[in-house]
Amino acid sequence: MAMRELVSGGAACATSGSSSSSNPLGSLANALLGSSSKTQERLREIPTSTAIPSDGSASVGTGEPLSGLPGSELDHPLQPNAQGSEFLRGFRSADQHGLADVWDDIQRPQVNFPPEHMLRQPDTNGPPQRVLSSFLHSFVNSSHGGIPFCPATLPVLGLSAGDKQCIRDRSSIMARHFFADKSEDFINAQVNALLSSLEIDNDIRAPGPAFKRYKELEKYWHETHGMRPGPNPADGWVAEFAQHPVGHGDPSTWVQSFEQEHGANGWASEFEHEHAQLASMDHIRGATMPHLAAMEQTRMLANTLAQNNDPKFQNSKFFQFVSKMSRGEITVEDNQIKPATLSAPGDWATEYQQQYSGGQTWADQFVHEELSKGPNGWVDEFASERGHVDDGWVNEFSKLHVNDWAEEFGRQVGEGTFGDSSADNWASAYDEYLNEQTALKQQSESSRGVYVFSDLNPYVGHPNPLKEGQELFRKGLLSEAVLALEAEVLKNPDNAEGWRLLGIAHAENDDDQQAIAAMMRAQEVDPTNLEVLLALGVSHTNELEQAAALKYLYSWLSHHPKYGTVVPPNQPDSLYYGDVATYFSDAARMSPDDADVHIVLGVLYNLSREYDKAIESFQTALKLKPRDYSLWNKLGATQANSVQSADAILAYQQALDLKPNYVRAWANMGISYANQGMYEESIRYYVRALAMNPKADNAWQYLRISLSCASRNDMLEACDSRNLDFLQKEFPL
Amino acid sequence: MPVFKVPFNGYSVKFSPFYESQLAVATAQNFGILGNGRLHVLQLSPSPANPGQPISEISSFDTADGVYDCCWSESHDSLIVAAVADGSVKLYDLSLPPTANPIRSLQEHTREVHSVDYNVVRKDSFLSSSWDDTVKLWTVDRPSSVRTFKEHAYCVYSTAWNPRHADVFASASGDCTARIWDVREPASTMILPAHEFEILSCDWNKYDDCVIATASVDKSIKVWDVRSFRVPVAVLNGHGYAVRKVKFSPHRGSVIASCSYDMTVCLWDYMVEDALIGRYDHHTEFTVGVDMSVLVEGLLASTGWDELVYVWQHGMDPRAP
Repeated sequence: MAMRELVSGGAACATSGSSSSSNPLGSLANALLGSSSKTQERLREIPTSTAIPSDGSASVGTGEPLSGLPGSELDHPLQPNAQGSEFLRGFRSADQHGLADVWDDIQRPQVNFPPEHMLRQPDTNGPPQRVLSSFLHSFVNSSHGGIPFCPATLPVLGLSAGDKQCIRDRSSIMARHFFADKSEDFINAQVNALLSSLEIDNDIRAPGPAFKRYKELEKYWHETHGMRPGPNPADGWVAEFAQHPVGHGDPSTWVQSFEQEHGANGWASEFEHEHAQLASMDHIRGATMPHLAAMEQTRMLANTLAQNNDPKFQNSKFFQFVSKMSRGEITVEDNQIKPATLSAPGDWATEYQQQYSGGQTWADQFVHEELSKGPNGWVDEFASERGHVDDGWVNEFSKLHVNDWAEEFGRQVGEGTFGDSSADNWASAYDEYLNEQTALKQQSESSRGVYVFSDLNPYVGHPNPLKEGQELFRKGLLSEAVLALEAEVLKNPDNAEGWRLLGIAHAENDDDQQAIAAMMRAQEVDPTNLEVLLALGVSHTNELEQAAALKYLYSWLSHHPKYGTVVPPNQPDSLYYGDVATYFSDAARMSPDDADVHIVLGVLYNLSREYDKAIESFQTALKLKPRDYSLWNKLGATQANSVQSADAILAYQQALDLKPNYVRAWANMGISYANQGMYEESIRYYVRALAMNPKADNAWQYLRISLSCASRNDMLEACDSRNLDFLQKEFPL
Repeated sequence: MPVFKVPFNGYSVKFSPFYESQLAVATAQNFGILGNGRLHVLQLSPSPANPGQPISEISSFDTADGVYDCCWSESHDSLIVAAVADGSVKLYDLSLPPTANPIRSLQEHTREVHSVDYNVVRKDSFLSSSWDDTVKLWTVDRPSSVRTFKEHAYCVYSTAWNPRHADVFASASGDCTARIWDVREPASTMILPAHEFEILSCDWNKYDDCVIATASVDKSIKVWDVRSFRVPVAVLNGHGYAVRKVKFSPHRGSVIASCSYDMTVCLWDYMVEDALIGRYDHHTEFTVGVDMSVLVEGLLASTGWDELVYVWQHGMDPRAP
């Protein structure tokens, strides 16, 4: 849910209750670089330093020789040719060169140890933190008095599947620490209350009876251990588990096989592929995991049943399984599409798609496994997910057409006027439905973000919905424009412009989910559309999905008629931030008057959190394009991220002057006011934004937070029931 | 006495073994359940120039997931090891600019890393323990772990090197056992079924290399002599909730500091009859980090989920101005 940050000004970025958060790296860099000379000085003292209190443990043992630790897995001692010994020699030569140099030396093998910030951003926002934070707080607090946890209803948080996994696993483990006095049932109830109110599928609910067995097993396990204080538990399942961490024919857990792969790759290649692996780690922790795990689970159960000749083994397997289950490592995932939380299945689908196309080994393995597993749950699930749509369609169709048609047909046959037009009508209506259906299917099969159409659309059947949509968009009637454009893309699913405009309308309406889904479709139809590529780059930057963002920004450059030459002809497998930034800097030098290049540079600097540079780029672009309201919004958002909320408000005001119905800018205004602690002000802006687009779920969350922060708890109910009239009366702007 | 506010929930605090005024604090957003983390390096600056701020921040490093624990290198004064909830172990060098940090990110654990502990004898290696049930041994010069210890059947919450023997360490796990290991041996040398509930922490007596303390969800701390481990040497009752960390004093052999989910920090002398010798209830949320300074006798530091870091002298009120 990082997508708020760039486009919408990043209140979510603010860490709960702190003022020092929004741009930690920027200020940190200043603080550190500003005093670097001092640090250096201090460092050089160290090797010979006697200023250290003489406590014995405080000696600086730089010259201590290192021998390999016996019993190491790598059973040869450290040889001087080992790559790490550079590091050590550096240590030893510290006296001659000064430690600072030594550490610089250490930095030199960049291939092996690239500074991590290149690989993964410390995403300071994540999900809407304040909402979540207070929510988790009440969960934790419930342990103080042992009061059953009664969660408040939550707005849609848009937690990713990975986030959910984290919450589930960690809260299960931690709850067992807080609620030591309580029964297992109580603990499960507490965790379940937390999870279900966050709309996290909880596996702990499912294995009710299994959990009891787990307790028995646990007892069994303790008994055996109590009797075995000796150093050799080799006959136990524990040892078995330890000795075969990557069991071969074993239904080795998926995580283990990943570990195995990691190990096999070796350090150097691991770092070469760090990008990919970090990405895949995310995916592991993310959405794909539950599905894999679900398959794993069934496989293990089957295995257990098959091997009942060895009760001990069976028990151990089972224990392992259930204990993992209790930790949420194995999930009985039944991810159903819930309209309110589209993110989960959508993200999953996207991630899966990205994984797959990324061609990473484990993805292949997964696919391979999936195929070999035959009736893959995925397909079933997909079918069941789509089921309701099919049903709906069938019902609707039979209701609307079959009967009508039959009657009509009968009547017409009776009248003897059977012929061209009516049959054609029916056929075309049927075809239309079929097309629609195929379109829906293609869309979800394509596994991109799934676009959700509005239920009732008065523009369906409009002679020229695209033109209408453009007109409405120009007038700033965004919600209406969305409907018209939906009608257009329903009619012409291959209309890239329709999808693109739809995406933009959603983005300006502060609905990122839909915006991304629409942009994905636009890109599918027209893979080289520069505006679409830029929009996707921005969206993924907001999501802090650096790899994806770089991919789209890179494509933007390579498809650009002017700058295509800047980039190497073949897109490398993995893009590095530094490379892409260089290409764009080159492009900016080539034509310093192209606002677009500066915009992309601004986006890129947001990606690396160099907000000052980003602001500079956007300001340059604004000199060239002073009437681009979305550009003003980007500038404002960046300034907000860089803890310049006051400046941000000026920028948003510019955007609103240019486009008064720019919902996102209204919401961003609210965020900036909230960031400055002016909650009452922020409420007015949120309400204004919501009056224009009541579907902006995030704005509802922000409103709720501001209401609580402004101690306007009396209005929370109006907020929860989304009573806009009431709110507007109370908070006029 | 000094207090410092951090933006996230405190998870661990450690005094520098080199400078009496420096300490590192590991923090995580949303109680470490979800969100980012940050490693702070703080300075106790008694400088009269800034009397209003008894503690200042030297540096801080952001991570994409919560930081559950940290430890200082025993060989180099600017090196800190952090245990990160995303399964990575990260090394930070304070003398380098933030862009160059972390200098290493060791990604081997498959689940949250819950603790790190630096070897005080060899000074070149450290241990990490994780919710993936394993303990890993690392040296600063190697890019991958030297060894993985995989015997525990549930999360390993902490490890502690023996203060005398370079190869011996103890681990505390949610499988209700503590284990003693010699890194030269293929398997653990001793399994101590120390509590009926999960064991969250363990530490060695700094003056008697056979004595170990374990802290458990059962609210008790038990002190064991590994030579006769059937009966604990002492059982310290007094905490009202799970005991999160236990730490032997570097200055007095029988003194133990502990912190608990009951929001207190307690000091114990396990040799005397009324073992509880100090109780501090200055935190307003779970207290999950406590440390005792090696360089200043009686100096304590604690952190908790109330986002505060306290540093105080034993016997003083941590909240006193």
